Amino acid sequence: MEATSRRKWWTRVGDWFDERFDVRIPLEAFLKKPVPKHAIRWYFCLGGITFALFIIQGVTGILLSLYYKPTPNEAYESILFIMNNVRFGWLIRSIHSWSATLMIAFCVAHMLRVFVTASYKNPRELNWIAGVVLLLLTLAFGFTGYLLPWDQKALWGSTVGSEILGVVPLIGEALLKLLRGGLEITGLTLTRFYGIHMLVLPVLAFIFLGVHFVIIRRQGISGPL
Amino acid sequence: MSESVSQFGNGAEDQPLSRRGFLKYALLVFTGAATAVGVATPIVAYLWPPKQAGAAGGGRVNVASTSDLPPGQGEVFSVNNKPVLVIHTVDDDEYVALSATCTHLGCILFWNEERQVIACPCHEAYFNTNGAVISGPPPAPLEPYRVQVEGDQIFVEGGES
Repeated sequence: MEATSRRKWWTRVGDWFDERFDVRIPLEAFLKKPVPKHAIRWYFCLGGITFALFIIQGVTGILLSLYYKPTPNEAYESILFIMNNVRFGWLIRSIHSWSATLMIAFCVAHMLRVFVTASYKNPRELNWIAGVVLLLLTLAFGFTGYLLPWDQKALWGSTVGSEILGVVPLIGEALLKLLRGGLEITGLTLTRFYGIHMLVLPVLAFIFLGVHFVIIRRQGISGPL
Repeated sequence: MSESVSQFGNGAEDQPLSRRGFLKYALLVFTGAATAVGVATPIVAYLWPPKQAGAAGGGRVNVASTSDLPPGQGEVFSVNNKPVLVIHTVDDDEYVALSATCTHLGCILFWNEERQVIACPCHEAYFNTNGAVISGPPPAPLEPYRVQVEGDQIFVEGGES
């Protein structure tokens, strides 16, 4: 028997790429980090769970965008259509809604873990800041997504939420106008929030997630208490 | 021989499959396949175009019997997934059906029996029984629906989905 035929197929696929691109050593250096003993605890998984929920949000969000219509006349109707007519539409939308809530909860839990284990200290200050930005992005995702069903709860939730911006001294009203696309919540606010929710925030989230992960790989996980 | 031992493999491929090894492998394949099918099925079914609810023609819906709506009363019914306000007018002793979705911001309207007008709970808007705006912010009148009374049953027709 020839030597190559006895190797597993994935080994051969790996070898094929390594022959051409010489990627094994740099990739292994980046991906194969043993988890230190003190970190094998459930509460060190909170960040990873948040990321898993982010992926779920991405997949279900893309699926929802195939049926959702961001106009005042059709938004709520398209939600009803997803819930009542589309196969498994109720499931996809409910997963999106629930994992949005869970993502915020796990994000905060992850932050508390990092705080309690003092992992934010020198030399990890910048990763803490990247994490804070990610928490704010997650909250912005939640806030903009809340309006999209275009029902009473959405309308008043967004009215009250965006009202807070109006009390900023001097420029409050300008900020409010900028966020709402006018002084009131209208169809312009809906398309605005839709664009932010679907394009602006995902791009920013990917950038900051990339930064977050590259830094943790470069510096490694913080030491035991 | 050392060439055949790859950095990815463990080099133990020559040994016959043990019972434990087989069960481990089978369990892994089974769980993996079940998970993949469980995730893929809803997604593929979701992507498959659903039947349009209005494709059958909107349909006529039996909303109530005439005894439910004495003159001067009105009520909101669901007609093909849309809220429709059916009113029994005092003046003409007629049945009128109008979209119960406010043309301002889409709040569900209700019938104000005391004042005999259609009212919006959100911004104090009022409509008359023709669907025209009496006061308040709505930019357009209410969309009418066809009403038919057969015997003592009221039917409403219209609405796209």
